[in-house]
Amino acid sequence: MRRIISGIIYILSAAIGVLAFVYPFFADASRQPQASAHTQDAPLITAALVGLSVIALLVELQGRAISAKTVALLGVLVALTSVLRFIETAVPMPGGFSPIFAPIILAGYVFGSRFGFLMGTFTLLASALITGGGGPWLPYQMFTAGWAGMTAGWLARITHHTGRFRESIELVTLCAFGFAWGLLYGAIINVYFWPFAAGPAAQAWTPGLGLWETLGRYGAFYAVTSLGWDMARAVGNVALILLLGPATVRALTRFRRRFYFEVQPDA
Amino acid sequence: MLDARAWLLWALAVLVTASSTRNPLYVVLVLLIAAAVELACTPRRRAVSHRRAASARRALPSAFRFGAVAVPLATVFNGLTVHFGETVLFRLPAWLPLLGGPVTLEACVYGAINGLTLTAIFSGFSTFNRVTPARDLVRLTPRAFHEAGVVLSIALTFVPQMTRSLSRIREAQAVRGHRVRGLRDWLPIFVPLLISGLERALGLAEAMVARGYGAISDQAHSLRAQALLALGLLALLLGWLATLFLPQWRMAGIGGMIAGAGLIGGLLWQAGRSVAHTTYRTRRWTARESLAVLGCAVTLAVLLAPLPLADRETLYYSPYPHLALPPFDPVIGLGILGLLVPALAAKAEEPQPDD
Repeated sequence: MRRIISGIIYILSAAIGVLAFVYPFFADASRQPQASAHTQDAPLITAALVGLSVIALLVELQGRAISAKTVALLGVLVALTSVLRFIETAVPMPGGFSPIFAPIILAGYVFGSRFGFLMGTFTLLASALITGGGGPWLPYQMFTAGWAGMTAGWLARITHHTGRFRESIELVTLCAFGFAWGLLYGAIINVYFWPFAAGPAAQAWTPGLGLWETLGRYGAFYAVTSLGWDMARAVGNVALILLLGPATVRALTRFRRRFYFEVQPDA
Repeated sequence: MLDARAWLLWALAVLVTASSTRNPLYVVLVLLIAAAVELACTPRRRAVSHRRAASARRALPSAFRFGAVAVPLATVFNGLTVHFGETVLFRLPAWLPLLGGPVTLEACVYGAINGLTLTAIFSGFSTFNRVTPARDLVRLTPRAFHEAGVVLSIALTFVPQMTRSLSRIREAQAVRGHRVRGLRDWLPIFVPLLISGLERALGLAEAMVARGYGAISDQAHSLRAQALLALGLLALLLGWLATLFLPQWRMAGIGGMIAGAGLIGGLLWQAGRSVAHTTYRTRRWTARESLAVLGCAVTLAVLLAPLPLADRETLYYSPYPHLALPPFDPVIGLGILGLLVPALAAKAEEPQPDD
């Protein structure tokens, strides 16, 4: 029963996220031009809704008592990831490359989807606090990075069944995964800026502008403003996972055994 | 310095103000206010850390740098893709998908206004981040997220330590003849950093358990609370869908969203009550904070409430179909000035030496 409800919670919050992602396209198609007074607060409502669904997921994940070990491990890994940003300054990388995604994916992969989600949200939150980059886009970032970590945990279930070439299969899957999330992250975060760049539906409104045309517009917007940027992030993720992945997975797996070792005294 | 809660309210007020208008005059006013507040309130640190001081000095340019990218980008994009307006600058051949057609002055102006709005929001939040220390922000985490607050505090505490051990490892490797030339050379630095960090996490976890962390709070929350959470999310989702796609159900949809948000908030409050929480040094909510909040409230009231004096139509400036000077209503302008109050309130206590 518990599992079913928590599954429902995941699905609902994912649905809110997906709706936040696609609604500008539908809204453009269905809105009447005179609704202009209300369209302007649409981005605010979206940010609030995404924030609420992040909160709900956090409550759900936290409800099952987080042990001291998880808390300590999370804290340290988040700190480590924030420090990793020094690579960013030491080796100049173009575009939207940021070294925080590879650790999120790797940690989610080794420690499971729940840990991955927490790692993703907290990493973004902590680095927003440290670098001073917080803003109304933060819920989107936390949500997206959290899902990246969570889905990485699911990935482990697939690769664990592979036999002889497990390590190389693991690496290839993780690389593909990092690449995909590099692009996806950009596409999702852009949606926050989209209503600003394109204007609220009513004012950039074209008579008879259909769903497909709006999607085409978003495609153009994406290709013009962020494809190159996001490509740098995706390629950077692959490079980091190729480079650090095997060693990190090995170290984390070893520590996982040590961390979740428990003595159960006789009652 | 003001309470972090007051600053958070201020940042939200800036967000609401900037996103509830497309009139460039008001947006520019908001931008100026954010810059003024930042100049007035950025704490002068007594050499706590050089990096912080450096970042504080860089503060103003960061919003400007953002604007320097956002405004031209939005101008060009909107200008090229929206073919409205009467003042045609030039025409692109019609066979180009999406881009083809007249490029108008109005569309470019509208794009620029969008960019400005985005810059105003950004500068509001960058000011907020400058004037409130990260520690105070961590203390804002609701009590229900007690563990989350602990994780954040650990992370913030460990960052300087990690930085130090990073440089120590680099030195050690340099002594052994290792040099960082490319990305590949980071592996011998990263692995020791990771492993020493994990060791430290183990030690920390044991210390926390030894001090009784998690000894009582291991009750998972009840099935009922979980079901209510799911219900709250469902109400949010359905309410939102209704407001988006079914105009006749709009009111019911808004009600559903409010009910869902209330349900989730109530659960949070309920969960927070079970966490015993003590603070070492309490920050008091003084008259200054109330004054600052009052200023923000005046702004929001002028913008959102249907007051008889303010001409709210001026908020919805649109350059289409023909470019005209944006209207300016002095009452709304004065209302927006309410956002300046926190700067004055924060300045008022300046002479008193703080801890």
